[in-house]
Amino acid sequence: MDYEALDFYEVDSLLSDEERMVRDMVRDWVDEEVIPNIENACREGIFPDEWRVALGEMGVLGAPLKGYDCPGLSYTAYGVICRELERGDSGLRSFASVQGSLAMYPIWDFGSEEQKMHYLPKMASGEWIGCFGLTEPDYGSNPGDMITKAEEMEDHYILNGAKMWITNGTMADLAVVWAKLDGVIRGFIVEKNDPGFSAPEMKGKHSLKASVTSELVFQDCKIPKDRILPGVKGLRGPFSCLNNARFGISWGAIGAAQACFYSAKDYALSRIQFDHPIASYQLVQNKLSWMLREITKAQLLAYHLGQKKDDGKWIPEHISLAKMNNVDIALEIARVARDIHGANGILDEYPVMRHMANLESVKTYEGTHDIHNLILGRHITGIQSFTREI
Amino acid sequence: MNIAVLLKQVPDTTAKITISNGKVDENSVSKWSMSPYDEYALESGLKMKEATGGNLIAITCGPERTKKMLTDAAAVGADTLIHISEDKVLDSTQVQNLLATVINNNEIEVVLCGKQAADTNAGSTGPGVAEILDAACVTMVSEVSFSENSFISVRPSNTGTEKVSTSGISVFTFDKGLSELRRPNVRGIMMAKKKVIETIKPEELGLGEDSDRIILQTQDSPAEKEPGQIFEGVGEIPTIVSKLRNEANVI
Repeated sequence: MDYEALDFYEVDSLLSDEERMVRDMVRDWVDEEVIPNIENACREGIFPDEWRVALGEMGVLGAPLKGYDCPGLSYTAYGVICRELERGDSGLRSFASVQGSLAMYPIWDFGSEEQKMHYLPKMASGEWIGCFGLTEPDYGSNPGDMITKAEEMEDHYILNGAKMWITNGTMADLAVVWAKLDGVIRGFIVEKNDPGFSAPEMKGKHSLKASVTSELVFQDCKIPKDRILPGVKGLRGPFSCLNNARFGISWGAIGAAQACFYSAKDYALSRIQFDHPIASYQLVQNKLSWMLREITKAQLLAYHLGQKKDDGKWIPEHISLAKMNNVDIALEIARVARDIHGANGILDEYPVMRHMANLESVKTYEGTHDIHNLILGRHITGIQSFTREI
Repeated sequence: MNIAVLLKQVPDTTAKITISNGKVDENSVSKWSMSPYDEYALESGLKMKEATGGNLIAITCGPERTKKMLTDAAAVGADTLIHISEDKVLDSTQVQNLLATVINNNEIEVVLCGKQAADTNAGSTGPGVAEILDAACVTMVSEVSFSENSFISVRPSNTGTEKVSTSGISVFTFDKGLSELRRPNVRGIMMAKKKVIETIKPEELGLGEDSDRIILQTQDSPAEKEPGQIFEGVGEIPTIVSKLRNEANVI
């Protein structure tokens, strides 16, 4: 049966023709190449290399970036791409988010002209994979206190420290690493063969199994002087990247929720208990209509945020609200969808348990659910509540 | 070389079809797509264009919605887009006449199309256009190439496959081939957006009001399938055998 994306309010009719064509391109690819292979990829714990190649060939990596052979699409189109990819799997969308928003974007915005010309075309084509090193074992929600540091030598920098939970790390050709230089957070481009750099993979995940997650280890890692990102100092650098990635997640989560709704509806209509399809029972209908309600609201939120992003009239708090809400409802929808599937819901014959497990990560990464609440709390009251003297 | 690909937009093969007042209700079709065999013709046209440095002209006839299919064709590489704009459902002969006129007006040397459209399955467009153009016509081909002033096509024969060589203006109708269909990419989509679609009215091509010759009387949904029967246990075997022999007539 062909996938029919839930779009109760026809929000996609507000997209431009170009955005719809991009949607169809990605949706068809996900149908043909991702859905048939995703469970195997998860079982083996690999990100299939064909997917990297195809994303590069379709030209969707770094979607909203302009110039340097980047796609130059709207932010709304970027959101649509994330949604369609995450309908397949959150790990797949994570790959694209990290490549585009977390690795290409900082080079595009804060890099030197030489860095842009050198890295961006090959990253847009998927030839080079990037990753983003911010989080450390002891500094997750509080990246400002990171301990990875850079020292300036005569003709090079020396990096020391470790990053953790780095999507794409082991497979990456380059890492955008945030480290303190004389106490100030700066961005550095580290290439995979730089001396003193290693990226061991983290194993044993119950979530995002088709995505590579790694540590980045720097032991007197020596990089040339021209690898510092000249255009930014302080937390603004990594936070600008996260804003874009979180924007993509607010759309992506809808894709996962749509996939769960679609599977739950199909299952409820075909599963017979007490002589009737379970879709005919009020409790199940109540669950389905709740899903429809939340997905529709999330779609409107994401679309409006996309317009604001394209118009340049947005603040980070707008993105926090959408990321937090849309991932939250997607996770709850995945759980309810699993419930509707009964025992069958735990099998990999259905996508719901996979999405559910993935979304647990998505709820936590790129600013946890709670941290986004605190960002909004600060916006409302003017009082930050992240830290205090105890 | 000017290469024409004739495209038809049809209800997607997964779309639900409803009948109202004895006709397919087009408004109820949720998704329209390029007819699948036409996709193979388009792919072959793109390959020929790349090999010969030719100009690929995508032509369709139909209402406003069919323009999207031309833009989709441009996204994978069609150079020129021609839309014969007609809201009415025309009969096969009328469509063939319109297409043949456009082909004549554009100095086209080779015409590619699907062997049949996925909606009517009539299979008359290719041969009909060839007849009007007085062109060579090879049907059910899986690939076509151009070398030394002739077209070489491959089609099934009762011994396997056969290669057919044609010269002069030639029409090829495509079956599902081995070639993988290319996907669009973002760059193609952005270029396609800028492509101008040339729109022509049937009157400009000389189609008069009086040329309706075939009239579609009514359309019906397929008959409902009778529900299946389930038999369980060894004891039911004689019943099953008897039913297969006497009712289904399969053994």
